[in-house]
Amino acid sequence: MTMLALEVSGLSVSYRQGLGWRQVVEDVSFSVRCGEVLGLVGESGCGKSTVALQLLGFRHGGLRTDTGTIMLDGIDVLTLDRVGLDRVRGAKVSFVPQNPTTALSPGMRIGEQVDEILVAHDLPTGDRARELFGLVGLPDDAAFLRRYPHQLSGGQQQRVCIAMALACEPSFVVLDEPTTGLDVTTQEQIVDLLVDLRARLDMSMLYVTHDLGLLSQIADRIGVMYAGHMVELAPTAQLFSEPRHPYTRGLIAALPRLDEDRRTIKPLRGLLQRDSLPKGCPFAPRCDFALTRCFDEAQVLRHAGHGHQAACWRLAEMPPAAAPAAEELPAEPDHCATPPLLTVASLIVRYGHGVRAFTALGSVSLTIGKGETVALVGESGSGKSTLARAIAGMVAPTAGHIHLTEAELSPLVKARSPSQRRLIQYIFQNPDASLNPRATIGRSLSRQLDFFFPDRSANAMEQITAALAEVRLDAAYASSYPDQLSGGERQRVAIARALIAQPELLLCDEVLSALDVSVQASILQLLQRLKSELGIAMLFISHDLAVVRMLADRVYVLFRGEVMEFGPREAVFSPPFHPYTQSLLEAVPVPLKKRKPARQRTVTSVDIGTGCVYAGRCAAEIPAICGATPPPWRETQDGLAIRCHHTLEDLLKRESGLSRGGLEKS
Amino acid sequence: MSEANIELIAPSQMRRNWLMLWRQMPLSFRIGSLILVVHLLVAVTGPFWAPYGYSQMGAGPPLSGMSLAHPFGVDQLGRDVFSRVVRGSWIVISLSLAGTLLGMLIGAIVGLLSGYVGGWIDEIVQRVLEALISIPFLVLALIAIAAAGPEYSGNPVLLVLVVALVYAPRIARMARTAAIDIATRDYVTVARLRGEKAWSVMCWELLPNATGVLLVEFALRAGYAPVLIGSLGFLGFGLRPPTPEWGLMISENRALLIVCPSTVLGPGLALASLVVGLNLFTEGLARVLGRTVKLGTQ
Ligand SMILES: Nc1ncnc2c1ncn2[C@@H]1O[C@H](COP(=O)(O)OP(=O)(O)OP(=O)(O)O)[C@@H](O)[C@H]1O
Ligand code: SF4
Ligand code: SF4
Ligand SMILES: [Mg+2]
Repeated sequence: MTMLALEVSGLSVSYRQGLGWRQVVEDVSFSVRCGEVLGLVGESGCGKSTVALQLLGFRHGGLRTDTGTIMLDGIDVLTLDRVGLDRVRGAKVSFVPQNPTTALSPGMRIGEQVDEILVAHDLPTGDRARELFGLVGLPDDAAFLRRYPHQLSGGQQQRVCIAMALACEPSFVVLDEPTTGLDVTTQEQIVDLLVDLRARLDMSMLYVTHDLGLLSQIADRIGVMYAGHMVELAPTAQLFSEPRHPYTRGLIAALPRLDEDRRTIKPLRGLLQRDSLPKGCPFAPRCDFALTRCFDEAQVLRHAGHGHQAACWRLAEMPPAAAPAAEELPAEPDHCATPPLLTVASLIVRYGHGVRAFTALGSVSLTIGKGETVALVGESGSGKSTLARAIAGMVAPTAGHIHLTEAELSPLVKARSPSQRRLIQYIFQNPDASLNPRATIGRSLSRQLDFFFPDRSANAMEQITAALAEVRLDAAYASSYPDQLSGGERQRVAIARALIAQPELLLCDEVLSALDVSVQASILQLLQRLKSELGIAMLFISHDLAVVRMLADRVYVLFRGEVMEFGPREAVFSPPFHPYTQSLLEAVPVPLKKRKPARQRTVTSVDIGTGCVYAGRCAAEIPAICGATPPPWRETQDGLAIRCHHTLEDLLKRESGLSRGGLEKS
Repeated sequence: MSEANIELIAPSQMRRNWLMLWRQMPLSFRIGSLILVVHLLVAVTGPFWAPYGYSQMGAGPPLSGMSLAHPFGVDQLGRDVFSRVVRGSWIVISLSLAGTLLGMLIGAIVGLLSGYVGGWIDEIVQRVLEALISIPFLVLALIAIAAAGPEYSGNPVLLVLVVALVYAPRIARMARTAAIDIATRDYVTVARLRGEKAWSVMCWELLPNATGVLLVEFALRAGYAPVLIGSLGFLGFGLRPPTPEWGLMISENRALLIVCPSTVLGPGLALASLVVGLNLFTEGLARVLGRTVKLGTQ
C-alpha cells in the first residue's frame, strides 16, 4: 500500500438556506495517494467546489460541516482552529482558484504578492519569487515581477496563481476549475505545466472541473459526483472505457468528441432537481435503469472492478456500456445551389482611434447559404464576436459590405428596416444576462411579437406557447421569472425569443460555453433540430471544436481578425490543415488520447500587416518569408481554402505526424 | 399565479409567515419602520385628537413650561406647541414626500436616459448635473426661491419644486451609473437590436432593474427632505407663519430657548426622530435589497 496524501471520509456539508440547512455534500469519502492526481467531476452545483474548499478548512457562518474527517499528513483539517489552519494552508495544502483575476490583488505587484505569502509563513523571500516564476514558465526578470496583475494575460495570471500556490512547497494542491475561463490553447499550456510540475515536484493534486475530456489528460483517477454524492470512482482509462454508474455512462455519451465523426449525441434525460431528490439514489429520477427499490434505498460505493467503485445496486445486472448507436444522419441539404443568404465582403473593424486603434477584423469575407450552419472558430480575441456584432449591427465596420440576400445592410442597426432586424437574431453566451430578470418569460417573448408583428398580437399567447414548445418547454414557463429557471432553461428561452421573430439567420455566440456538459448536449440537440426542421441558417461561434464538428456545415478559422482557413466541415477537420488549425486541433483534449506536450511557442513580436498574422507563433514558419509577405490562398477541389506560404502538399506531409498520434482513435 | 397561492394558505399560516419575515429583517429596518409608522399615524390621525388648533391662542399661559396638559409647553402667543407639532406633522411629511417624489421622477428619467444613450448628450447632461451638485443645496434652494420672486414665497408648491430641484441632479447621477451598468446586459442589447426606442428601453428594461437602487436612493433623500424644508423654514424662506411647520417653529421660538426650551425641543425632537427613523429604515432597506439581490444571482 502506498502512502496516502489525503484521506476524506464520511464528509457531509450543509449550507444555510432560509431558516434551515440544506445538505449539499453527503457522506463523501475518497483518498489520494502521494503523487497522484485525483479528478473530481460533476455538473454545476453538485458540490465539488464545496468539497475542494473543505480540504482547506474553509469555513463561514452559512456553512456547516456535519460529519466527516479530512486527514492530511496525520492532521484532521476539520478540527484545526484558525491559527492551525493558517499554518497548514499554503504550507501543506494550497489552492488554485478558477478566476485568477479576482484572486490576485489588483493594486499590488505580482512579485510582492508572492513575497507576501512567503513572509506569512516565515520563509525567506530573497530570490524565491523569481525561482517560482521560472518554475511556472513565466519570465523571471525584475521588470516582470514589478508588473501589476492587469498587465498580464489570463494565462499568465493563472500561472502567477500557481506560483503562489507552490510558494511554500505544499505536498497537496487543490485546483478548482483552473482553466475554465481560458481559451483552448492557453488551457493546453496550463495543463502541460501542471503535468510537468507534478512530475518534477512529486505533488498530489485534487483537480475539480466539469470538463471530463480535460480530466482524461491529467488525472490518474476520477471521482464523479452527482447531487452531493460520490457516485463513481475509477482509474481514468477505466472510467472512459467501462463507465459503470448510469450517470457516468450518460455523461460520457453526452460528451462531444473530436475523435469520432458522430453527428448525434445522447443528452442525459431530465434535469437535476435538487429540491425533490428521492431519499434513495439521487440519480433515480433520471436513470434509465431505475426500479422502485432505487428510490428508497440509499446507495453506497460498491466494488465494480479493480480499483473501481460505483454507487448503484444494479451494477451487476447492467449490460456493459455500449457506444451510443450512431443514428441515421439527416440528409445534408445542398446549400451551394441557392444564392447565399448573407455575404460579408472585405469587412474591416477597428476599435479606437488614432495611434491606439486596434484592428479587430482585417478584411474578412464570408458567405452563409440559406439554412446553412457556418462555424467560426479561433482562440479568444480572434475577432469572432466582433464579426457577429458587425453582422447584427452593433458595431459599425470601418470598411466593407454586408448583404442580406440582395439588399445591403446598413452598418448600424438603427438604420436597418424592421424586417432586416427581424431576420437576423442574436443569441448570447451567458443566459443569465440575456433575459430581463424583472420580466416574465412570457413578457420577454411577447415584446418581440409586439415589435415585429404589430398587427398579429391578438394570438400572442398561442405563438408564445408554440415558441416555447419549439424549444421543449411547456407553456407554464411563460409566467415564470428568469431566476426560477436553470441555466439550460434560460438558454432555451433565449433561443425561443429569437425563434418567435421567425428569423432566417441565428447568430449564436458561444451559446454552449456557459453550460454544463449534459445541458450543453441537450441545447446542441435542440440546435440540430432547428437546423434540420426549420431550415434556419446559423453563424455558430465556438471555441469547442468537437461541438463544431457535430453541428457545422462549413467552418471558418479565424486568427487575429483574419481568416486562415475555410471550407466544408470534413475538409477542415481532415488534412491538409492550416498550421493554426492544426494547433487548435492538437490542443483539444481527446479522451484516452496520449497527450503530447504542447509545441513550444516562441512568441516573437511581429509587424502585423506585412506578412502572415500567424508568423511568430507558427510551428511551420518559413523564416524570411512568412513575416514579410502575405501568404496566398491555396484551394482544393472540395472547396477547402488555406492561406499559407506552404503548398498543400507540404502541409499534407506535416499532417502525417498529427494523424498518427492525433485525431485517429487510439 | 402568486395570488392564487396566497389564498390557498390558511390565514394563521400567513400570519406566521409575515412574522417570520419580520424577524429576519435587520434590526435597523425594524426600528426605522416602527418610528415611521408612529410618525405616519400621527400625521394622519393627529388633526382629530390634537387637543388644540394650530393657531388657537390662549391654550395656556404663554411661555409656561412643560406640563401634562402642554407636554411641549406653550409659546409666546399662547399656542400649545404639542398640538402644533402634531398638526404640522402631515405638512412636513407630505411636502418632503412630494418633493422627493418629483425629484426622483425627473432624476430617474434624466439619469437613466442619459446613461443609456451616452455620447455627447450624456456628456452635456453630466456637466450640467455636476454643476448643479457642486452648489451647496441650501444655496441652490435659496437661489431658486429668489429667482421665483417674492410673490411665490411661502407657497408650498414652490417648496416642493425646490426640494425636487435639489434632489433631481443627485438622483440622476445615481440612476445614470445604474443605467450604464444595466445597459451592458445582453437583454438590453436584444432590445436595441430589436430597434426599441430609448424611451421604451428605459421603461421596460432599465427602470425595472434599477428599482432597488432607486428605492434606496428615494428613502435616503426623503430622510433629508424634512431637514431641507425645516432649514428653509428656519431661515424664513419656507412656509409662512402661522403654519405649524417644524423648522419655522424652531425659528420662531429660538429666542425663547433659554426661557422655555421645550418649545424648541418639541419640534426639534419631532424632526430628529423622523430623520433618524427614515435613515434607519433606508439603511435596513438597502441591506434587505442587497441581500435578496445577492441570493437571486446565486
Ligand atoms: N454560500 C452558499 N450559500 C448557500 N448555498 C450555497 C453556497 N455556495 C454554494 N451553495 C450551494 O451548494 C451547492 C454546491 O455548490 P458548489 O459550489 O460546491 O457546486 P459546484 O459543483 O462547484 O458547481 P460549479 O460547477 O458551478 O462550480 C449548490 O446547490 C449551491 O447552490
Ligand atoms: S441505484 Fe437505481 S436509480 Fe440509482 S443509478 Fe443505480 S439503477 Fe439508477
Ligand atoms: S504563412 Fe508561414 S507563418 Fe503563416 S501559417 Fe503559413 S507557415 Fe505559418
Ligand atoms: Mg465550482
